[in-house]
This record gives sequence, structure tokens and C-alpha cells, in this order.
Amino acid sequence: MADALVIKNLNKRFGGLHAVQDVSFTVRENETLALIGPNGAGKTTAFNLITGFYRPDTGSVSAFGREIVGLRPHDVCAFGLARTFQVAKPFGGMTVLANVMTGAFLRDRRPDAAREKAREAIDFVGLSARENAAARDLTSIDQRRLEMARALATQPRLLLLDEVMAGLNPAEIDQAVALVGKLSSRGLTIVIVEHLMRAIMAVAKHIIVLDHGQKIAEGSPKDVVENPEVIRAYLGSGYVHAPAGGTS
Amino acid sequence: MPNVGGWRFVVLGVVIAVMLVLPLVVKSSFAVDILIRVLLFSFIGSAWNLMGGYAKQLSLGHAAFFGLGAYTSTLLQIDFGISPWIGMVAGGFVALLASLPIGWLCFRLRGPYFTIATIATAQVLMLIFLKFRDFAWGAEGTTIPNLGHAPLMMQFETKAPYYYIVLGLLTIALLITARIERSRIGYYCVAIGEDEDAAEAIGVDAPSVKRQIYMISAFLTALAGTFYTQYIYFIDPQTAFNFNISIEAALVSIVGGVGTLWGPVIGTVLLETTSALLQSWLGNSIGGVQLTVYAVILMAVILWRPTGIMGYLAEVYARRRSKSLSLPAKA
Ligand SMILES: Nc1ncnc2c1ncn2[C@@H]1O[C@H](COP(=O)(O)OP(=O)(O)OP(=O)(O)O)[C@@H](O)[C@H]1O
Ligand SMILES: [Mg+2]
Repeated sequence: MADALVIKNLNKRFGGLHAVQDVSFTVRENETLALIGPNGAGKTTAFNLITGFYRPDTGSVSAFGREIVGLRPHDVCAFGLARTFQVAKPFGGMTVLANVMTGAFLRDRRPDAAREKAREAIDFVGLSARENAAARDLTSIDQRRLEMARALATQPRLLLLDEVMAGLNPAEIDQAVALVGKLSSRGLTIVIVEHLMRAIMAVAKHIIVLDHGQKIAEGSPKDVVENPEVIRAYLGSGYVHAPAGGTS
Repeated sequence: MPNVGGWRFVVLGVVIAVMLVLPLVVKSSFAVDILIRVLLFSFIGSAWNLMGGYAKQLSLGHAAFFGLGAYTSTLLQIDFGISPWIGMVAGGFVALLASLPIGWLCFRLRGPYFTIATIATAQVLMLIFLKFRDFAWGAEGTTIPNLGHAPLMMQFETKAPYYYIVLGLLTIALLITARIERSRIGYYCVAIGEDEDAAEAIGVDAPSVKRQIYMISAFLTALAGTFYTQYIYFIDPQTAFNFNISIEAALVSIVGGVGTLWGPVIGTVLLETTSALLQSWLGNSIGGVQLTVYAVILMAVILWRPTGIMGYLAEVYARRRSKSLSLPAKA
């Protein structure tokens, strides 16, 4: 399989804080890769660097064979990389349908076609019953779903999900895991940031661990959970019982 | 739903019929003058609403485009004898072009800083027209040569034709707005107004969309400038670039409901009738009453109904609809 995303020696400083330090990794097409690490590790910053919201100080990001550093966020999206935000950013005054249509307009400027595509995406995340609700009236979980539907409506090849499962109850987590699995089986490449090891193990076969902006481990779930440094920095010895990752 | 749609067309038909016969029935030229003002500010408000309402880019500098429209057509008419009908369109394009550098400057700023920058651009234009006397009559301004009844030069001896012109302008603005509301650029504008980062993340080229909607908004506002100058037969920088125009454009939309098709119209009807009533009641003896009343209305709206009158109506409608929908469930 070809490489979907190749990240090389990525660096980002905020003043004295080295938020992302020399991070390199590769996401292969159609794989689901999890990016984990304690709070403040630099996961969201990495997303912002990849999607053009921040410009890296140095390093390169190449997606599907093309260098994308320097592209603006909407160009990155048009190129096939869609993301969600850790803190959902719905267009509050718009209906769910209008929110998702706005995403669908990227690929088709005809309202009818966009509406149809939007309905598919809404259905996919299981939000059809709330189609005409104002986005601001949704529960935070449904807002997370909306965020996914809106990203999916842009018809991405690569989807970056930033903690879409935070705050869900176990049943909802199972649904979300199933959803990610379904996306993957449709051929989508996924990079997922999540704190919940149970969910990560269920969706990802390839894990990157960040700590203080540095990549400290990479490998299969089994390699990673047995890695002493990962246990020290993030999981702690009883990680199974502390799903949110108590260290920071 | 076909029921609601059907009613909407009936109401719209009645409104159109009434608007068309109004000047034939209303003989008082004072009253027609008020109607013209209402239509004019509904039109300016609608133009402003495209950018200030849908895309939530709170401009308080739309007088810049009003003034550019007014000066373009007047200069073309007086210096070259070109009809204001052509001048009006030319003025629209001058404003459209001017919106590019103005936008380039102002869109770097967000929130209140953007607003202040737009105010500054209108003020700077006013200063330019005040200072350069040879260019456009400086501070004294000029009267428009009165040709009597000259439809081709947009001059008439009664008020009714002016009424129909501005009614036509408003209709155009409403049609454009309705069209934008349903198309991609409309969705994009609202999305940018809600959350620019989220919009960018789903492929919206925010700077470009803002630029486009600003151009349309500026173009329409300039048409109002030409119309107004022809209507009052006079132009000077204080009138053409008056800050009150910028304020009122925003005010009528905010009161009526930003980002809604009819918001600016409803807001204007409310504000203009209030101010006309006050004036006939108190006369012009007490200066500043109008502004005070505007300020009070604005504060009331912002405090109690930030979505404006249209937002309030939509809420009431939604409540009644959900009530009637939930009835069968209870039975
Ligand atoms: N725009 C910014 N300006 C300054 N510092 C920032 C900025 N964005 C992030 N940081 C800092 O960079 C570090 C990495 O933050 P980041 O949000 O990437 O962490 P994270 O791994 O996503 O953490 P979490 O699990 O809490 O979401 C943090 O110390 C954060 O305070
Ligand atoms: Mg984060």
C-alpha cells in the first residue's frame, strides 16, 4: 500500500515551549493510526500543523505524494484531508442539515446535490432524527457527531479525528468505535487522537505515542502498551483502570 | 408544507400589489417622502445585511460606498453629461472596486478592530472629498442642475417615480439576497460568521468569500448613493459620506434581524415610522431625539431579542408548530 501521509522532522515552538519536536511518522493508505499521549503532548498541535492551521517552524508534511506545508486550511481540505476539532465548532445558528451541506458544497456547488450528500453523511453518523435541529441545541455528543458528518461531507481521503470519543458513555463509545471501523472499511485513512486505550486498541493497529512534543514510541498496540517508557510517561502501571490517562 | 408556501405567495402578492398602488392613493408628498426613505433604508440595510448580517462582518463604513456611488454618477453627469442611470451602474462598479483595497486593509482585523477600520475608511474618503476642491467641489458640494421632467436623467417633478425607482432597487436587493441565501456562497457566509476556523476546515476559502460578499454589498450600497443624490438634487461630502448612513444601515438590520431576508425591511419600517411620528409630534425643536430613540430601541433589541424581530417571529412560529405537532402524541 502507498503512503497517505508522510511527516518528517516536524517542529513547532510557541515562544519557549517546544510543542512538537522533530516528529516523524508515516500513515499508510487505508490504515487507522492512533496518536496518543498525555495532556499537552502536542497531539492537537500536530493536527493543526498537518491541516494548515499552524505553519511548522521546520519539517515537511506530504499527503498522497504532495507537499502540503504552506497550504491554507481550506486548500488542505480541498486536497482531501478533513479534520474535527477537539472542542466541537458547530455553526450554532444553522440546522444540522445546513451545517453538513456547507461541507458538501466543497465537492458540488448545486444545493440539491449538496443536500443529498449531506443527508448521507448525517445518516452515516446516526443524526438523521436531528436533521432540522439548530446545531447549538444538540447535546455535546451529537455535536461531535455533527462535526464528523460535516467533515465526511467534504469527501476526504484522510480523516483526522481529535478526541471525538471524549465524554461518551461505554455504549456510545462502542457506537463510535463501530463508526470508525465502518469508515475504515470504506477505504478511508484515519488518524485518531484519543485517550481511551480500550477504544484505541479496538480501532488502530498502529500507534504513535507523543510526550512533551516528542515521539517516544511507535508500533502495534501490543508493543506500545508493553513499552516501559510509554507506561512511565502515559499509561501508568494500571492503565486499564485509568482510561483517561491520569499523568500529565 | 405546501400550505405554508401557498400562504407565503398570497401574502407576498398582496404586499406587492399594495406597494405598487400606494403612491397613487397616498397624495401627501410628506407621506410619500417617508415611504421613499423607508424603501431607501430598507435597500441600504439589505445591502449591508449581506455582509454584516449573513457573514457577520460588522461594517460601520458603508457610507464609503454610498458616497462613492453618489459622487461617481454626479461627476459623470455634471462633467460629461452622462445619465445618472448609467452613472448609477458606474458608481456601483467604482464601489465594487474600492471594496477590494478597503477589504484588503480591514479584513486583516477581526471583531471591533474590523469595525473601527471600516469607520475610518469612510471618514478618510470624506476628508479626501472635502480637501480636493478642484476635483469635486470640496466642502460646499454642488446642486444637481434641475432639468424639470427628465426621466432619462433620473429627474422627475413628482415624487411617485422616485418611489418606484427605489422600490425597484429594494426588489432587486431582496431577490439577490433570496438567491444568495439558497446558494453555496450564502451557506459559506453564514458559516464564516459562525466560526471562521471551522469553515476553513471544511474547505471554505474565507478571505475570498468575504471579498465576494463585500463586493456585492458595496455595489448595491453605491446605487443608493446615486439615487439619493438625484432625489435631493444636492451632494456634498458631509451628506454623501455621512456616518449616520453607516449607522442606520447596520441598525435597521440589527433591529429587524441580521442574516434574514426581511430583517432590514422590518427594522426600517419600525425605526423610520417611530422617527417620523416623533418628528411630526415634537417638530424639529428638540434635536437629537431621534438618535436617542434609536439608541433606546437598539439597546432593547440587543438586551431582549438579540436575533431581532425576525428571530423573535421565527421562535414564536417554531413554538406554535412544535405545539401543534406534539398534540397527536398526547392524544
Ligand atoms: N496556540 C498556542 N499558543 C501557545 N501554546 C500552545 C498553543 N497551542 C498549544 N499550545 C501548547 O502546546 C502544548 C501542546 O498542546 P496540544 O494542544 O497540542 O496538546 P494535546 O496533546 O492535544 O493535549 P490534550 O490531550 O490536552 O488535548 C501545550 O503545552 C499547549 O499549552
Ligand atoms: Mg488536544
